[in-house]
Amino acid sequence: MADIYTPEWYSEVRDAMNARIATMKELPTDEILIKVEIVGDGVSPYVAAAAERHFLVKIEDGRCAWYREVEGDDPALTLNYRFRGSTTTFDEIAVGLEDPINAALQGGIKVRGDMRFLMRQAEQVQVLLEAYATGVQTSWPKGRPPYAPSEQEQVRA
Amino acid sequence: MTRTYEAIVIGSGHNGLCLAAYLQRAGLSTVVLERRHEEGGGTNTEEPVLPGFRHNMHAQFMEFFDIMPMIEDFGLEDLGLRTVMPEAQAGITFADGRPPVILHRPDLLDRTHESIARYSRADADRYVELKYRAASLEQMLAANLYTIPQPASLDEQGEMITSGFGDMGVGPQFLMKSPKNVIDELFETPELRALLYRACVEWGYPIDGQGTGAGFLLFVMWTLGNWKLVLGGTHGLAKAMTQACYREGVDLVENVMVDQVIVEDGRAVGVRTRLGEFRATKVVASNADLRQTLLDLVGGEHLSALWVQRARAYRYGPSHVLGTPCFCLYEPPHYKSARWDPAIDRCFYTMVGFDGPDDTIRYIRDAYSGQVPKPAAGTWVNSLWDASQAPPGRHAATGWYFLPCASELTAQEWAEVRTTFNEQFLDVWHESAPNMNRDNVIAHKLYTPDQMERKNLMREGDFSNGEFSADQIGPNRPFPEASNYRTEIDALYLCGPSSYPGGGVHAACGYNAYKAIAEDLGLPSPALAERGY
Amino acid sequence: MRDAYDAIIIGAGHNGLTLGAYLARSGLEVLVLERRHEEGGGLCTEELTQPGFLHNVHANYHTFVDLAPPVHDLDVRGHGVEYVRPDVQMASIYDDGTALTIHTDLDKTCGSIARFSEQDAETFRRLYTEAHGYVDLLLGTLMYQPPMSVKELTKALSTFDVEGRSEFLSVKLRRETINQFLDQHFTHPKVKAHLAFHGAVCAYTNDVPGLAIGFPLLVGKIDNWHLCVGGSHRLAHALWRDLAQHGGVMVSDADVRVIVVEDGRAVGVRLADGAEIAARRLVASTVSVEQTFLEFLEPAALPAELPERVRKDVKHKDWSLFSVHLAMSALPRYEAAAFDPDVDRAWVVNLGYGSLQELNADFDAVRAGRLPEPKPNAAVNSLYDPTDAPAGCFTGLLRQFAPFSIAQGGEGEWESLGRWYGYRCIEAWRRYAPNLTDDSIIDWVPYTPQEITQKLPNMVRGDWMMGEVSLANMLDQRPLPELGQYRTPVDALYMAGSTQHPHGFITFAPAYNALQVIADDLGIDAWWRQV
Repeated sequence: MADIYTPEWYSEVRDAMNARIATMKELPTDEILIKVEIVGDGVSPYVAAAAERHFLVKIEDGRCAWYREVEGDDPALTLNYRFRGSTTTFDEIAVGLEDPINAALQGGIKVRGDMRFLMRQAEQVQVLLEAYATGVQTSWPKGRPPYAPSEQEQVRA
Repeated sequence: MTRTYEAIVIGSGHNGLCLAAYLQRAGLSTVVLERRHEEGGGTNTEEPVLPGFRHNMHAQFMEFFDIMPMIEDFGLEDLGLRTVMPEAQAGITFADGRPPVILHRPDLLDRTHESIARYSRADADRYVELKYRAASLEQMLAANLYTIPQPASLDEQGEMITSGFGDMGVGPQFLMKSPKNVIDELFETPELRALLYRACVEWGYPIDGQGTGAGFLLFVMWTLGNWKLVLGGTHGLAKAMTQACYREGVDLVENVMVDQVIVEDGRAVGVRTRLGEFRATKVVASNADLRQTLLDLVGGEHLSALWVQRARAYRYGPSHVLGTPCFCLYEPPHYKSARWDPAIDRCFYTMVGFDGPDDTIRYIRDAYSGQVPKPAAGTWVNSLWDASQAPPGRHAATGWYFLPCASELTAQEWAEVRTTFNEQFLDVWHESAPNMNRDNVIAHKLYTPDQMERKNLMREGDFSNGEFSADQIGPNRPFPEASNYRTEIDALYLCGPSSYPGGGVHAACGYNAYKAIAEDLGLPSPALAERGY
Repeated sequence: MRDAYDAIIIGAGHNGLTLGAYLARSGLEVLVLERRHEEGGGLCTEELTQPGFLHNVHANYHTFVDLAPPVHDLDVRGHGVEYVRPDVQMASIYDDGTALTIHTDLDKTCGSIARFSEQDAETFRRLYTEAHGYVDLLLGTLMYQPPMSVKELTKALSTFDVEGRSEFLSVKLRRETINQFLDQHFTHPKVKAHLAFHGAVCAYTNDVPGLAIGFPLLVGKIDNWHLCVGGSHRLAHALWRDLAQHGGVMVSDADVRVIVVEDGRAVGVRLADGAEIAARRLVASTVSVEQTFLEFLEPAALPAELPERVRKDVKHKDWSLFSVHLAMSALPRYEAAAFDPDVDRAWVVNLGYGSLQELNADFDAVRAGRLPEPKPNAAVNSLYDPTDAPAGCFTGLLRQFAPFSIAQGGEGEWESLGRWYGYRCIEAWRRYAPNLTDDSIIDWVPYTPQEITQKLPNMVRGDWMMGEVSLANMLDQRPLPELGQYRTPVDALYMAGSTQHPHGFITFAPAYNALQVIADDLGIDAWWRQV
């Protein structure tokens, strides 16, 4: 079991996605570059508040070819999609407390890019999201959601 | 919030747009601040009566396009400026159906001759000869227009008149005469006199103004019958100029009234508006009228007593104060006089409601003395040459009434004029053109001097922003100390028609203001050797 | 004007100018041709009554100005456009003196609704919150990209089980009317009436099957209406300026008569005055389908059946708008202010529709060519933009749902009825705001559906959305299936105006979407597609 957000964990997610994808037919051959931005929110312990972690994911022939952690935006790269959300949201998806589609619908994860392509590839997207959400055994060294309200939130409440 | 530019131009009348384009091209970051929601000032075209019927609410007859530097320098024709030049230019027609007098385009002077000769061969010969003489002076007249005025001695001017026109019985004393004196001395035909009296006021000077007689010979005779129509309406010029400004990078902000020019240590450093301050590191130029600029925006406390006196003494009207009636018609007017010369039905500017010189002069003098004159007008139907100015099968007619200065009538009285005057004029029009009955008129509206004052800040409704009398023209405009576009406030310039050469669509006030600024700041001169200015 | 450009765009409405500006920024030589003497199309502001009173003749409400990609890409705000978002967006005033107000503050809106029904207030809160969550997604999917088909959309929504994840989204919406949606979720007739009225003002008529699919988007933006300071026309100036600063040229008073076609390819245009201008790479039309395919193109240049299909199958709105523009010296003081003082500050006021039945009945009457008893909506822009009238004065705008063609007489009847109906609309306003006596109205003019078409012929039969808003005329079917992706049967000829997906209104979307297709076809690098 890999710790959440570690290179090992991402490799397992990638493998889980590709295993599921292998069973699908008629995959688009496009090369797609996706940026995933996980924004610190002061609740999840995995990214400091006001910090962000960014990941690039490359899809080729429908499969996840590689991912890597990056800093900021590289102007030389043309992104096809950007998914951005709070760390807590991503954590909750990984642990199965939140559904990625739901998160997108509620604006918890902001999606930018060619939505028409995304909608046309709905099945594939669904499969990839499922792989992310449920396809990997994850360990949570700093604790797992649901998170107790932070001290600040307790004071506010 | 403060925004900083190198140059601020107050007002987007065509002079302000011209100045802004040249300043930006010379490398100064420039902003034009316009009070209204549309640029262009008097170069304004609207559909004030019915959709699809266009009316030029102010400037209508374009005399200077062949010589206007900005058109050439900024490629305005590539930016959408298109014109047409009607053959029959100015005419007068009569209720009793006697022959009209029609002045044609300069390339068709033989027709002009024929038209005048019906009444007097001598007048026809003289008119045509004067036109030739004036045309031959065009190069010099153009250079004069687009050059900062220098005081010229009366002797010099007298020599110029004599050398140009001496053999036609014109002498230096003509400088002292009023245009009416000059017209009466040179021409005998009453009908021609009537046409020239009114044309002189429309395109030049108060008819009885002593000391502008030379202006009639040089300026009015030069421009008479030299008029083009901007296709789509005069606002097309404003659009092409605005587009040129945009291309150069000028910022143009509408809906922002300038409340004050900020003066620090005797220098104009910016302006105050509802959006905050705009700061100018090099130039503040005003296209607004003289009194507004000096007394309202700058304020007497920053000016010398002399300048305050001059500004207060500066006069507006009565000669360039007009009312603009707008008519939506089924058919264009067909005049009784057309049976002698059908060209009167397709004449660019047609005087209607005048019988001869006496009633014309009375009309003009009534308006000058603060009374609403009898219903009579100069009229035009642009849709005859430009189908875009009216819906298919319809016509848009517009005109000019001479009306008193805005302050001569109360708001109530002006409202009364707006409600009644067009109807009275329609009766008169009907006498000259039987088809101009009420059935031919779909709708109409009248735009009066008090409205012009509010809309365009043309004080008293004077579209020249200052009377064209001998003491307020040329190197005396607006007054001698301010005649070179500079003011006694550092970095503050005048660029509107309160400056030389005055009202009219020539962009010379803006162009010459640029020249003054260029001299002061070491910017490139816009003059081209091949054109002489 | 030169005699050749890379791209010629017909029509300088906001779509034409937007497309032109993007192409100019992409390095093409662009010419935008406008028949009128003013650019802007529906972004038209004129002193219709008296000097100093700025009246928005057409577009008055700018809803997408903080969301549309072109507003950012073309630096609209940098060009000097100012927007105000009125805090009291809209109100309904009912005949019994009660009123409902919509605010930019959700709590205030819910508070107002709760006075009629607490349950409806809670439902509204949930609907708004849910819609607000996915509004960006919706816009990105449905508005600012070339369309997919209803079928594709429904299949994707089904795959993602959106229905199971949301309270209000459902595949059934594509068959339902807004009335049905409202009946399912809300209880109080006045609440439903206001929401239906809101949809109608957005051209989503409440009794048309399938329009429920767009309703969540409308609710998600119900508090996002913006007013353009100084008049809608300022936006046109800003777009023109961007075009010109990047080397493009807009020529007004240019009446295109012919699109020149050689070997099946659009190669230029000819104007009414005979001038011919060549287009090296593309011609884009933003005017009507009828003008483009029946006037500008020879039948020989088109597939045989297309002209007939344009004549028969292009669907237009079955109702138009009658307007009254007023110059006023007093603000309306509504009697309903006793119930809710905020109505006096509401930007847009529905005067009188208190139930879905009333709306339905009036639309039925209008569709039959009859003039309903006026229940106009009133907007006083001066409340939020004092620059649009002289000091101490105000501009007023009344809009009434009305037929284009009046039964037994056609649209020509408007010439004699305009003044009369205008007076009746003003009388209707007075019933709710009795302080608007004759003394407080300085001047007024009617603006009839017939005049809409006279002024803007691309708005065929007073159709200011440039095409019916209905399920059958949506997405890739709009305006005809063969034109639904901005391309036409003629090579290098595109449709880029409000006839196209999504529809009319100030969205910038037809141009932005046509741009994507043009960029793909011409190999233009899509620098604006920044994700």
